[in-house]
Amino acid sequence: MAQKEVLGTPPEGIHPTYPYKVVLLGSTSVGKSSLAYRYVKNDFKESLPTVGCSFFTQMLNMEVATVKLEIWDTAGQEKYQSVCHLYYRGAHAALLVYDITNKETLNRAKLWLRDLEKEFLPDEIVIALVGNKVDLAAEREVATEEGEEFARTRGLLFMETSAKSNYQVNDIFMAIARELLQREQEKARAPSPHGRSTVTLGESRVRTGCCRL
Amino acid sequence: MERMRSGVVSWSQDGGALSRFCGEGWEGVKPEGASRGRQPRRGEGDEVTAAMASDGGRKQFWKRSGAKVPGSIQHVYGAQHPPFDPLLHGTLVKPGSKLPATPVKLKKVSTFQEFESNTSDAWDLGDDDDELLAIAAENLNTEVVMETAHKVIENHSKLQEQHKFQEEHLQEEKQVESVELTSTACGDNRLVKSISEGHTSSSSDNASENTSMQRSQSLPQTSTPPLVSGMADCNTSVTPALTEREASRLDKFKLLLAGPNTDLEELRKLSWSGIPKRVRPIAWKLLSGYLPANVDRRESTLQRKRKEYFAFVEQYYDSRNDENHQDTYRQIHIDIPRMSPEVLRLQPKVTEIFERILFIWAIRHPASGYVQGINDLATPFFVVFICEYIEEEEVENFDVSSLPEEVLQNIEADSYWCMSKLLDGIQDNYTFAQPGIQKKVKMLEELVSRIDEQVHRHLDLHEVKYLQFAFRWMNNLLMREVPLRCTIRLWDTYQSEPEGFSHFHLYVCAAFLVRWRKEILEEKDFQELLIFLQNLPTVHWGNEEISVLLAEAYRLKFAFADAPNHYKK
Repeated sequence: MAQKEVLGTPPEGIHPTYPYKVVLLGSTSVGKSSLAYRYVKNDFKESLPTVGCSFFTQMLNMEVATVKLEIWDTAGQEKYQSVCHLYYRGAHAALLVYDITNKETLNRAKLWLRDLEKEFLPDEIVIALVGNKVDLAAEREVATEEGEEFARTRGLLFMETSAKSNYQVNDIFMAIARELLQREQEKARAPSPHGRSTVTLGESRVRTGCCRL
Repeated sequence: MERMRSGVVSWSQDGGALSRFCGEGWEGVKPEGASRGRQPRRGEGDEVTAAMASDGGRKQFWKRSGAKVPGSIQHVYGAQHPPFDPLLHGTLVKPGSKLPATPVKLKKVSTFQEFESNTSDAWDLGDDDDELLAIAAENLNTEVVMETAHKVIENHSKLQEQHKFQEEHLQEEKQVESVELTSTACGDNRLVKSISEGHTSSSSDNASENTSMQRSQSLPQTSTPPLVSGMADCNTSVTPALTEREASRLDKFKLLLAGPNTDLEELRKLSWSGIPKRVRPIAWKLLSGYLPANVDRRESTLQRKRKEYFAFVEQYYDSRNDENHQDTYRQIHIDIPRMSPEVLRLQPKVTEIFERILFIWAIRHPASGYVQGINDLATPFFVVFICEYIEEEEVENFDVSSLPEEVLQNIEADSYWCMSKLLDGIQDNYTFAQPGIQKKVKMLEELVSRIDEQVHRHLDLHEVKYLQFAFRWMNNLLMREVPLRCTIRLWDTYQSEPEGFSHFHLYVCAAFLVRWRKEILEEKDFQELLIFLQNLPTVHWGNEEISVLLAEAYRLKFAFADAPNHYKK
């Protein structure tokens, strides 16, 4: 209850709504679009290579607040990277997706992490490392421990998923939402009495808006 | 520009349509006038825009088009009609009682619409055109018009008896035709017609009934029936017989193509409003510059180019697993199976062909290399060229490997070269940082801010960036936004326009965006807007919609391209 008040919940107990921008980053064909599609539509289909970015939204009713995730699914091909950074500006969270059957894609995810670390301060963005395609366990090239260990040393959330068999897809987005809310609360407890209310989130939207050409 | 002007008989020459758009008598119209006249009007809503034709003098508009068009009305085709504004088909304006001198006269339009809707099927028979137009031109007063209309209807229904048998067979096409012809004469009145014919059309075709419903859901202001047969060009086996006009167009193409030297200018003019599918393969090859205009040189050119392509394959294709090329190949190899070229089933043979085409192109164009999206651009060529050998309806279930190897090789080489020609014009779309796309998205933004400030402001207000939806429009030439049959139709025109893919496309994109203004303005939230813009409901689109879009794009080009100060704020 105290938390809610800190978050600026109106006395009637209506949950505040927080919009968060979440970007999916990673190599081509690791399953970014499929993860988004599974999460938002709870379905799996072969998807076309993403061009530019695709946009999805999902509402999450959490205990203390409603979270509105804006999911930005980016194109994986490196050629697009110059455009991609325009999409991840202003993000509150990022999923670095790799394909557990392709070691190279983990290396690529590490490069994405480097990019993000240049762009954001550590407390500005929640980052999750996601090893997708666990349904293809027989072709696994990246051990679970390897991803886990890397995530631990860099302070990332970590999960292995399968968009195809719907394994832990919800869980990873939920984990991100929880982490975002928790950070929200921590910030609210910080010196500034106003905390990060929706007003400040509005500001962050303005940041999103700066990706003009 | 000059060429296109002369090509677009029905409106750029006689100016009838311009006066509609400008809301002024057309004599005074300059591009400047055009845009000034339009901008405020856009914001004023459907009724006002629907009535624009009458602005500045009710007689001029239809008298002029009437006076100039009659002889050619039967042959005016597709997008070269005086384009009617696709945004306006919504609200049927109620007849106003008293008409102010300016700026709009709702009543006139409405009654004109009624008049036209009651008589438009008379266009079908052709014989009445001149008489009707002459009468109409002289009598713009409602009573007389209505009286005339009734006469025409009466006359027509008599004739209809005689033509009953024929009618039964050609009914659908004629509806299409009459709808299109209707817009030739007067543009916006199509609404009434659509409503009155919607039932006939949809009851005769269950599929179209569905589409009609879905469309009216997504596009409440457009009550045009889906006109499946109108896109007989593609994906429909409803009506094997050609309409008279289609046949006449086909003859024109054949005549043009048969000569010892095909007049490419003439071919472009003719192709601008759509190429009959039977001659599309050769027309595309000519338009892209792949085939020479001289008939005697064609066969040898084809042989030489095909040989040349397969020499590339021999030279380069084995290097696809080399260290410096394997990334390119791997990307292509991953992407091809993920394509869904709609009508084309991805069978191993097709996959191989696409991989070779794309890999060879990428290797030979190292400045850009392979960029996702380029794979899409090979599809229309492949589908069109394969239709040289099989019926279009068969494409979907056709076992490509049953074609002789030589035929497949020809299709592959032709697709490669034509795709190369296309890409030559837009290579900066795919070089590092994709400057061509970034530039065009920026231009799109500027253009839309000029042509529809309300939409532009709305997007801006909700912080929707053009790049967020239009990147894909540019990168994939709208192929992800419209069905393949529409892309193919679109490319008829792109290949007929100077700088069609690189420049005219921008105007098409602007027209495409503004096409959804109603829906856009209804969305009051960033997320909904972006989701809408990334998933535009075009699944039932056909030639009709593309023709409207192209006409609007042409109008924009006409108004803005030669007036850069107009364009820049």
